[in-house]
Amino acid sequence: MLGWMGGLVRGLSQRTLLCYGLVFFAFVYAPMVIVFVYSFNSNPVNMMAWQEFTFDWYRSIFGLSNKLTEQALYVESTDQLKAAVKNSLIVACTTTTISTVIGTMTALAMARFRFRFKTFYRVLVFMPMIIPDIVLGLALLIYFVTLGGELGLITIIIGHCTFLGSYVFIVVSARLAGMDQTFEEASADLGANRFVTFRRVTLPLITPGVVGGALLAFIISMDDLVITYFIAGVDSTTLPVFIYGMLRRGIKPEINAIASLMILFSLVVASSGLYFRSRAAR
Amino acid sequence: MIPRLTTLDRKRWRLVGLLSPITLFLGVFFLAPLSIMLVYAFLEPGLYGGVEWNYYHHNFGRILGWADGEFEEFDLVYLQIFARSFRLALTTVLGALLICFPAAFWVSRLDDRWKTLCLFLITLPFFASLVVRLFAWVIILKPSGFINQTLISMGLIERPFDMLYTEGAVILGMIYIFIPFMFLPLYASLEKLDRSLIEASSDLGASRLKTFLRVTLPLSLPGIIGGSIIVFIPSLGNFIVPDLLGGAKVLMIGNLVEQQFLQARNWPFGSALAMMIMVAVLIFLLIYVSVVTRSETMSEGREF
Repeated sequence: MLGWMGGLVRGLSQRTLLCYGLVFFAFVYAPMVIVFVYSFNSNPVNMMAWQEFTFDWYRSIFGLSNKLTEQALYVESTDQLKAAVKNSLIVACTTTTISTVIGTMTALAMARFRFRFKTFYRVLVFMPMIIPDIVLGLALLIYFVTLGGELGLITIIIGHCTFLGSYVFIVVSARLAGMDQTFEEASADLGANRFVTFRRVTLPLITPGVVGGALLAFIISMDDLVITYFIAGVDSTTLPVFIYGMLRRGIKPEINAIASLMILFSLVVASSGLYFRSRAAR
Repeated sequence: MIPRLTTLDRKRWRLVGLLSPITLFLGVFFLAPLSIMLVYAFLEPGLYGGVEWNYYHHNFGRILGWADGEFEEFDLVYLQIFARSFRLALTTVLGALLICFPAAFWVSRLDDRWKTLCLFLITLPFFASLVVRLFAWVIILKPSGFINQTLISMGLIERPFDMLYTEGAVILGMIYIFIPFMFLPLYASLEKLDRSLIEASSDLGASRLKTFLRVTLPLSLPGIIGGSIIVFIPSLGNFIVPDLLGGAKVLMIGNLVEQQFLQARNWPFGSALAMMIMVAVLIFLLIYVSVVTRSETMSEGREF
């Protein structure tokens, strides 16, 4: 009798948990789905009242002909939008390269050497990730202005590299921690010099970690708002800062379409990255 | 003749070579800016933006409500904003914890294949643009937004609710963007949790509630604390969420700092405020580190 009741209770709670899990995932994904669905809504006055299906918002983003009136659009947006996307890509590609090199070198040093200031370095590398981004962004703003530098793409790139190196460091370190050092020793025993060993043994082994770290850096750089917001000059707006500015001025339906494209882009990059990593782990 | 380097020397030079990029970079573009900000917090604001290079502690006095005696009166407005930020950040942590704990518990009990899929689905939104995810909540909550439109078209309400630009909207937005930060640490500790302990507890006659309170909860404490800290830190200094979802009504410290820098152009005062955020964050981190090291030494002690 008791066992039967216990089984019932367990079954019930199992089902409650399942329902809760589904609600949880709905909560996580519904807002993005809503943005996506309403990006096809033709109503220019009230963007959340469904009228009929249209591709016009997407057409207007890409500068194609559409049936929209001027008032419904952020008139100046297409050129500025293109410039912002271009800036974002330039910044993300440059920072990814720099921070991947720096982060990987640091990870190699920390994993393969023993030295006195190791704890200091560990704290130093973690600091940029832990510090609130508003503090780092403003500290950099004061610094660049005090030094008399001009704000622009270069300052954004520097700002991103200060914290992205740490992210790469963590991902590569995780890979190095699970790696067998005997391969490197064997290579050295067989007469390979340091460079050849690194090129032919170490590098191929850590490649999944390096690629994973680089992808993470790329995505975070593409998406960074707070730090970029403070240290971007007038002519060097990136995509997130541009969108943020649009939102502050008022919301128009066009933004639904831009937002949907951004979601799709980051989801494709992220899922290919995660897929690549899960395959590499096997 | 060049002296031959010993292996030890060569090794040391390799280490120096590997570490010098990060040392240089973080020294010049991280430690130096933060030090300058600290200096700025103790400088006198100039009349028209800019700074006067003399020592000035009224920036901190102003935060605490003590005026400089000449131009300002006693005013607790900044402390009130600090208090609100702490309250909102703590509510966010609590809300995220309550929402994520059952979900993390559920995922940790699934088959491996479903587990991987769920973890993937949790991680994915983290990569979608933050502004876009907040924008989604703006169009859901605003007076002519998704919720109000739906309710009105169903005939349930006649006039739209005011949901946007409230404290609730800010908390909801912060919980939403920080869900992965809370979920993953919780999951990590629940996943490690030994199931046989729970079975043992119920075999010994403990009720489900008692088992949860005495076994599951204490054992998942490291994940709870870790997730709470990781959510608390970015919530406290946040200014994007209160700006987009709270409007002018729900100011947090982050908004105050941003205003001081970009509108009032009082950089010393802004720096002082930013330093206060830093101090608060560091205190919470130290608490976290001490708790984690203690629980690690405790579990080691149990094993041996």
